[in-house]
Amino acid sequence: MGKEARQNWDNPVQFVLACVSYAVGLGNVWRFPYLCQMHGGGGFLIPYLIMLVLEGIPLFYMELAIGQKMSLGSIGAWTAINPYLGGIGVASVVTSMYLCLYYNIINAWSFWYLFHSFQSVLPWAECPLNSNRTGPIEECETGTSTEYFFYRETLNISSSIEENGGIHMGQALCLLLAWVITYLFIARGVKSTGKVVYFTAIFPYVVLFIYLIRGFTLHGAFNGVAYMFTPKLEQLANPTTWINAATQIFFSLGLGFGTLIAFASYNQYNNNFERQAIIVSFINCGTSIFASVVTFSIYGFKATVNYENCLERTRLLLLNTFNLAEDSVSMDNVFEWIEKLNTTYPQQFAEIAHKLEGCDLESELDTAVEGTGLAFIVYSEAIMNMPVSQLWSVLYFLMLLLLGMGSMLGNIMAIITPLRDFKLLSHISDELLNGLVCVFCLLLGLGFTTTSGNYWFTMFNDYGANFSLLFVVLAEVITVSYIYGIKRFEKDIEDMLGHRPNWYWKIMWAGVSPLLLITLFIVYIVNYIQGGTPTYQAWNKELVSWGSFPLLTDYPVFGQLFIALLLVSSVSCVPLTALYVYCRERKRRPAHTGSPE
Amino acid sequence: KYLFSINSALGDQAYVWNENEMFLFRATLAFAMRTYSDGQEYDVANVVVCDETPRVSFWFVVTSPLDASLLVDKRRVEEAVRKSRSRINSAFLLTDDTLEFIGIPPTLEAPVAPDTPPWLIAFGVVMGGVGAGIVVLLVSSVKRDGEEETGGKTENEAASDAIYNMSFSDDEPVTQM
Repeated sequence: MGKEARQNWDNPVQFVLACVSYAVGLGNVWRFPYLCQMHGGGGFLIPYLIMLVLEGIPLFYMELAIGQKMSLGSIGAWTAINPYLGGIGVASVVTSMYLCLYYNIINAWSFWYLFHSFQSVLPWAECPLNSNRTGPIEECETGTSTEYFFYRETLNISSSIEENGGIHMGQALCLLLAWVITYLFIARGVKSTGKVVYFTAIFPYVVLFIYLIRGFTLHGAFNGVAYMFTPKLEQLANPTTWINAATQIFFSLGLGFGTLIAFASYNQYNNNFERQAIIVSFINCGTSIFASVVTFSIYGFKATVNYENCLERTRLLLLNTFNLAEDSVSMDNVFEWIEKLNTTYPQQFAEIAHKLEGCDLESELDTAVEGTGLAFIVYSEAIMNMPVSQLWSVLYFLMLLLLGMGSMLGNIMAIITPLRDFKLLSHISDELLNGLVCVFCLLLGLGFTTTSGNYWFTMFNDYGANFSLLFVVLAEVITVSYIYGIKRFEKDIEDMLGHRPNWYWKIMWAGVSPLLLITLFIVYIVNYIQGGTPTYQAWNKELVSWGSFPLLTDYPVFGQLFIALLLVSSVSCVPLTALYVYCRERKRRPAHTGSPE
Repeated sequence: KYLFSINSALGDQAYVWNENEMFLFRATLAFAMRTYSDGQEYDVANVVVCDETPRVSFWFVVTSPLDASLLVDKRRVEEAVRKSRSRINSAFLLTDDTLEFIGIPPTLEAPVAPDTPPWLIAFGVVMGGVGAGIVVLLVSSVKRDGEEETGGKTENEAASDAIYNMSFSDDEPVTQM
């Protein structure tokens, strides 16, 4: 028994904002625009919205219902539903633990970039000079200055996952700061988190709105937005589109980590979570679209700037080679001049032909990037070209920080809430337990600040959560629908809300969502097996200088073993816990053979 | 060889390249040779320009003031130009990008390296603020724990009992298995 009553949110608004703050995270900003671009622009919204209705909202509703009903964290809640399946909760906690370890690294990078924005010239705008000060460093010249800043100065990345160096002190300091702030936000549990979420949920929207205005007024922004929104409906015939839509909804809402159960467990018993589930899901979806519009206007700007720089370089090359007067060739007639000169001076032209870069706006727009590459490389490249770039840089990285911190709060709560419920730990004060968890994650997270840290980060990002979550949520929905029973679940909801869920919800829980999840699960396994050896992108310093990046390298044996460990460790919690409970019951049963049945 | 890109540098305020500008160029080059080379009295006549194009690019050579048919060694000319580059650039209101000398890479200015990297300052400020916040938090929680020990806690225990019982009631059908 806890020494004090379970904490509660001060009001339902805090709960909604907490869910919004958790669900609206970096994935909305850097994964959804990429998917939109890959799968036919505006047309991608169709499978996205369909999947939201078929699996997103029902599963979200289900997790909130469980948390609010049981008023316990994920382990306690699942044990209460069925003692043999408490392992689902354990698997959630393990997966959340992996996420906590590596997710704060992203916040550390955001801090790093944020602090580096307070300079008169943004450090990623220019390449540093080489030793005799005749030009930029070779590694930087063949890549771009933003790539160089990210891979060399921010990460100091080694050439492969096998090579290791020391810890990058700047990174370590930023990681420490990220964990200290996380601790500050959760130190008193829901009491402190409840106040923080007002800021972490609302401020990113303010920044996004400011960026929307800025983005639309940028030169060339419209190219990007038009490119994104032109629907290419033939992509809908591609099954990958639907799979990606389903997966994106799934991960974007943060299902399966136990966070939603944890948040809902602090609710009043009769809180109307049905309406809140729908609201939060739609807010999340809307934010993705909103963020994509902003991202694509910035893409358009960046592509246009690059295109015009390319034209300018070509123009200069033509002027210098053929000694034409300066105002004869302007940016508009570069292509006409190329043809003219090709016909009049074929020999001379052939000499410089290899230096001519094909300047094409379409191909600039086509460079679809996702993940950290988008957030830290592409966006910072766009920002450095804006006027008053320091201001935009600070705003942008502050937004990334808040999005990341908001999600981080949820992830940490998913670990702490079940731990809190254990009787063993109930006499440790809130602050101490939270502090211990944060320190533990910080120390393990320092491994990601080493020179090969980014490769480990990518490994965790790609394999740490995806498969386990699919398994956990599948197990959840099957447990609730078939083992616990839809009828009992209905009664519980009626108890809390006052009315039974209507037929739509029941069909989704019992039929459609499990089928969808099984399909996703099978597709994931098939892709994994067919994909052969898992690979990662390496930034090899020598090869970059020769202009070949990224280099797809196979994971070494220990890397593959670790991936397998990541996948197996969380999934196996379910059968292992069931086995443990079964053995414990069997040990107890011989003592009760005399009891009346 | 020298390349001038006047229009791209100055845009509206571009000046027209004519004989007088060429004279200025030869004069600045003579100045450079006088100051940074062996100290002989180079004159405008010693700087010979040829092959001028509408692009505004040309070749030039420097003859020795003592003997007009003797050309000064390329390396000495290059060195003189490199050392007085900024003076030559500013004479024409241009920069290293827009006034190119093919064969002499510009010596770019070393970036100003402050003693404390600025990011560390920002970091220190934020870390200090957060640290203060944590100290305040911990101190206030210690104070609050001290006050709570004297206050009553029976209400709280009853409330947590109520919540716990509901989950047990749902367990019955399961444990009968």
